[in-house]
This record gives sequence, structure tokens and C-alpha cells, in this order.
Amino acid sequence: MGTIIETNNLRAYYITNAYGVERTVKAVDDITLRIQEGEVYGIAGESGCGKSTLLRVLLNAYDPPLTVVGGEVVYHLDGERVNAAEMTDEQQRDLRWRTISYIPQGSMHVLNPVRRIRDSFHDFISAHRDVTKSESFALTANYLRDLGLPEKVMASYPHQLSGGMRQRVTIALATILWPKLIFADEPTTALDVVVQRGVIQMLKDVQQNEGSTLVLITHDIGVHANLADRIAILYAGKLVEEAATQTILENPRHPYTRFLIESLPSLDSREERLSIPGRPPALDRPPSGCRFHERCPLAKDICKTIEPALIEIAPKHFTACHVVEEELSHASAV
Amino acid sequence: MQLLKSYILPRVAQWAVVIFVGVTVTFLIPRFSPVNPVDEMIGRMTAFQTIDPAAVVAMRATMEDLYGLDGSLLEQYLAFWRRLIQFDLGPSFQNFPTPVNEFISAGLPWTVGLLTTTTIISWLLGILVGSLVGYNQHRRWAQALERVVIVVYPTPYLIIALILIFIFAFYWPVFPMTGGAQGTPALTWDYISSILRFGFLPALSIVIGGFAFRFIMAKALSTSEIASDYVQYAELAAVPKRRIVMSYVIRNTMLPHVNDLALSLGAMFEGALIVEVMFGYPGLGSKLFTAISNADYNIIMGIVLLSIVGIATGSLIVDLLYPVFDPRVRLR
Repeated sequence: MGTIIETNNLRAYYITNAYGVERTVKAVDDITLRIQEGEVYGIAGESGCGKSTLLRVLLNAYDPPLTVVGGEVVYHLDGERVNAAEMTDEQQRDLRWRTISYIPQGSMHVLNPVRRIRDSFHDFISAHRDVTKSESFALTANYLRDLGLPEKVMASYPHQLSGGMRQRVTIALATILWPKLIFADEPTTALDVVVQRGVIQMLKDVQQNEGSTLVLITHDIGVHANLADRIAILYAGKLVEEAATQTILENPRHPYTRFLIESLPSLDSREERLSIPGRPPALDRPPSGCRFHERCPLAKDICKTIEPALIEIAPKHFTACHVVEEELSHASAV
Repeated sequence: MQLLKSYILPRVAQWAVVIFVGVTVTFLIPRFSPVNPVDEMIGRMTAFQTIDPAAVVAMRATMEDLYGLDGSLLEQYLAFWRRLIQFDLGPSFQNFPTPVNEFISAGLPWTVGLLTTTTIISWLLGILVGSLVGYNQHRRWAQALERVVIVVYPTPYLIIALILIFIFAFYWPVFPMTGGAQGTPALTWDYISSILRFGFLPALSIVIGGFAFRFIMAKALSTSEIASDYVQYAELAAVPKRRIVMSYVIRNTMLPHVNDLALSLGAMFEGALIVEVMFGYPGLGSKLFTAISNADYNIIMGIVLLSIVGIATGSLIVDLLYPVFDPRVRLR
């Protein structure tokens, strides 16, 4: 199991210039991560922390004003290192759906409203494979049956399907060509919990059947707990903690992650849940030093001026926090 | 059966009501006018000569009968309908006693031929080019084309027609200046090619104007369409551009376009007044223009009635076709 996609010191900013006022939103700032082949990698964080931006850059599907100002995204495909920024349009088109696919946020409107589901499938399949209409219909029917979707959806129009069914059809549409690497952006948001369960199960099936890699973005830690092998916590465009799912849930170290986990409802305890004080920072003028220091109860002077580096505090457990770092050095000194 | 009862019948009923109201209004308006066409006619006849009063009274009675102006308003109205059902629109006032039908059927083929062709050409061209420009709005060629069309769009037919006449009939006389055809009507190449030659400039001026309007409409519609999630998603999946333009962008903007096409075809019976007058084209528009300048009510009414039926039928067809173009329109 090698790395399938990595980023090195990736910086992606929204750079706008309206009426001479230049504004830079640092949505992804200095992120380095390695995603292993076959794993489910969860990316969590609150709204506006840069999750979706990171995904667009990983997917190599972004347009101005979003600009990659530094770092790189590298795919490892069949033993070859491919820098995303250096791919030609043609290489890019070849990669899509066959190797890299995407399950979008808000799947309610991603199906063409005036086209039957089977025709949409044919559009997407025939864009990458030389198939006749009846071949892609057969392929679609097979795949839908494997995933346990009723065959009658093939002849339906999107508006005739329920929200949950539409989402499942979209997942099927995204994975019909068995891609190696699947990006899913909030795939369960806006679905009720019963339907969510079905969608989560389906994502699991799709991922496990072919051993694909799934990069899952959602603010819902519950979904991560169900699906992800590893979780990365994003805060204000920065990667603040990364570890195996169980570690994140049971032994979070970064103060932000701790707040996040403690705020989850639990069946055992009926205590009032604390919310994080303050509000998330605006990314066009992020705070100096550690971006969380304004809201952090443990903040020290050093946090206000110096950015903490992401360090490995335990095997495969990374966090970026001065306080944690200090505790560790004390512990090792004693 | 359910479809017929719940979808088609109400719309056909609505169509009938629209026509009924239209015909009634058309009947009433000239009758509320202070000018009585019979008095006008007799006045014109007796202006320079004396006629026996008894003959004048007899003439008045005959004319009122012929024009359908005798009896009470209700009687006139019923008689009007009775004649309409038999497609009898009465005589022309100006060219008495030639029936209005003869005038209309003389002009109709010219107008229908000219306007059906030009409407369909400008409709197809406008949608295709407008949508392509909307889809490629950041390309240099698309922006250049849009600028040209924006200049052409507000230019009245009149100016376009004049410019065409100056260039192609005057300075560089490749096309005739006025008329509909040359020679005796027959199915010979000479006659048919002369129809095409005479029709070219009027057709071109209508196509230019109609194209500009539809281009701007299609561009605006497709611009909002390409921002939609399903177009973005199809692009992300590298679905071929041609498929996206045809099946995603244009297909989703079809409703307003179909509306426009049916109403334009329905409104055809008014003729292309300005163009026909400019080019001396023998269609309904020219006839209407002459009738208006001569207060020839029966011809005006005949053309207006035809146009009411045309537009009402056009919208009926659109209504019936809606479910074909958008599956979300429920048959109800």
C-alpha cells in the first residue's frame, strides 16, 4: 500500500481584485498530507475552514479566483509520480472518472433535470469508454443491481426520485467506472439520518468492493467515525491534527480537536455540551501565530506570534500546537 | 383518456374562449368608431355629383346589407358570426365588390413562405450561436460576436432593410429592389428561382433582426444554465463539450425558445409589415398597410381575425407540447 496522492506545502488562495481592492483569502495554507492507497481519509472542520477548497485543489478542478500560490499536488498513478499542475488538459480528461472521481456536495441538482437517469449514465460512460447506448445501459443496470438500487430508476427523471435515492444514484454515477480515487464532498449532508445510514453503507460498499481510496469531506464527525480510517482536522486553512480515527475520537490532543470531540452528543452523559468560544476567523486576515489562539483557553504568549509546526507526537499522530509540544518536552525531560 | 380530459380539453376550451373574445372585440371596435364607413362611401360618391335621393337611400340600404351594418348591434353581431363560420369576410371597401378573402388568399402564400422560412432559420441560428457564445463566454471570438449582435439588435428592420437595399440592389445590383417574383406563376425553375431572388433581401433583413433577438435570448438563458450544478458536474466528468451544449445547456433552455417559436409563427399572419412595404413584397403586410391607409375595415378585420386565430393556435400548440420538452411539467 503506497501513497496515492500527496500534497507538499500546498497553498491555495482566492485572489480577487475588485475596483482596485485586492483581497486574498488564504483558504488552504501550507498543507502537507499523504493519502494511502485503499484507505478512507476523512477531512473534518467547520464551515469555511477550507475543506471544499482543499478538495477542489486535490481534484485539480479549480478556476480563478482560486489560485495555487505554492506547493504541489502529486498523484501516484501506476507507479508514476504525476504533478497535478503539469498535466495537460487531455491527461486530465483521461484521468477523470476512470481513475479519479468526485461525489459532489448538494447532489440534489447535479443530475440533468430533463434527461433520464440512464441517459445521464450513458453521457458519463461514453465520455471515457467507447460504448454503445445499449452497452452502457447494461453496465448501468448491472452496477445499480450490485449496489442494491431498484432498476426502475434507470428510466426515471431526477425529479421523480427521492432525495436519498438521487444521492445514491449520484454516487453510482460517480463510481460507475470503478475509479481508484474517489473524492466525496459532504455526501450525507441534507439527508435525514435514516437515509444517511444507507448512503454511508453504500459508500463503504463502493470503497471496499474495489479497494478504492475514498477522501471524505464532511463536518459531521459521526460520519467520519463510521467510515474513515484516518482523520485530518482542518482549522482556518491549516491542518491542525491528523491521526487514526480512533485516536482522534479517544485521544485528541489539539485544543480545537478536543473541543470538537467534546461537543459531540453522547448516549452516556447528559451534561450540557460546551461550544468553542468566539467565532472562526476570517481567512482574508487570519490571526498571527497559531490561528486558534484567540479562542484557545490554553493560549500562551508564544501562540500569538509563532506558528506551531505540525509534529509527530506519537506514532502516526500529528498535531500543530505549542502547548502540546511543551508538555511533551517536559515529559521527556523528566 | 385521462390525458385528453384533464390536459388537452381545458386547453382547447381556453383556445376557443380566447378566439371568441378576440373576435368580439374585433367586431366591436370599428362599430364604436365615430366614422360610419357607409356614410364615408356615400359622401365620397356624392362629393362631386348629385345623385337622386331615392337612389342614395337604396344604395345606403344595399351597402349596409353588404357591409353587415343593418339592424341592431346584436343582429349585426350574430350575422357577423354566421358569415365568419362560412369564412365570408365581406367585400373590400376600397376595391368593392372584390371579397376580402381574395385579397387575403393572394397575400397569404407570400407571407407564409417568407416568414416560415425566415422565422425557422433565425430561430435555429439564434439558439445555436447564442448558446455557443453563452457557453464560451470567455473566448475572444464569442465576445467579439456578442458585441456585433448587440449593435445590430436595437437597429430597426427599417434601417437594416435600407442598408441591404443600398448595398445589394443599388450599388451592387445583384438582387431586385421590389416585388415578389418575375414571370407567370408556374412550377418552372425560372419562376421558382425568381421567387428566391426576389425574396432574398426581405428574408435576409428579417433573419438578421430575428437572429439578433434570439441570439441575445439564448445567450442570456445559457449563461445562467452553465452555472448550474449539472452542467458543472458534466464538465468535471469530462463529458464532451458538444454533448454538454446540446443535451445539457440548450435542452434545458428549450421552453422559452419553443414558446417564442410558436408565438412568432402564430403572429405571422400580420405579415412583416415594414419589410414588405420597404421591399414592395406582395404579402399580407403590404395589404394591411394599404388597407389601413384607406380605412378598408373589412380587410383590416380579416387580417386581425386571422392573426388572433394564429396566435391562439400557436399558444395552444406550445401548451400541448410543454410536457414533451420538460418532463417536470405535469399533465394536469
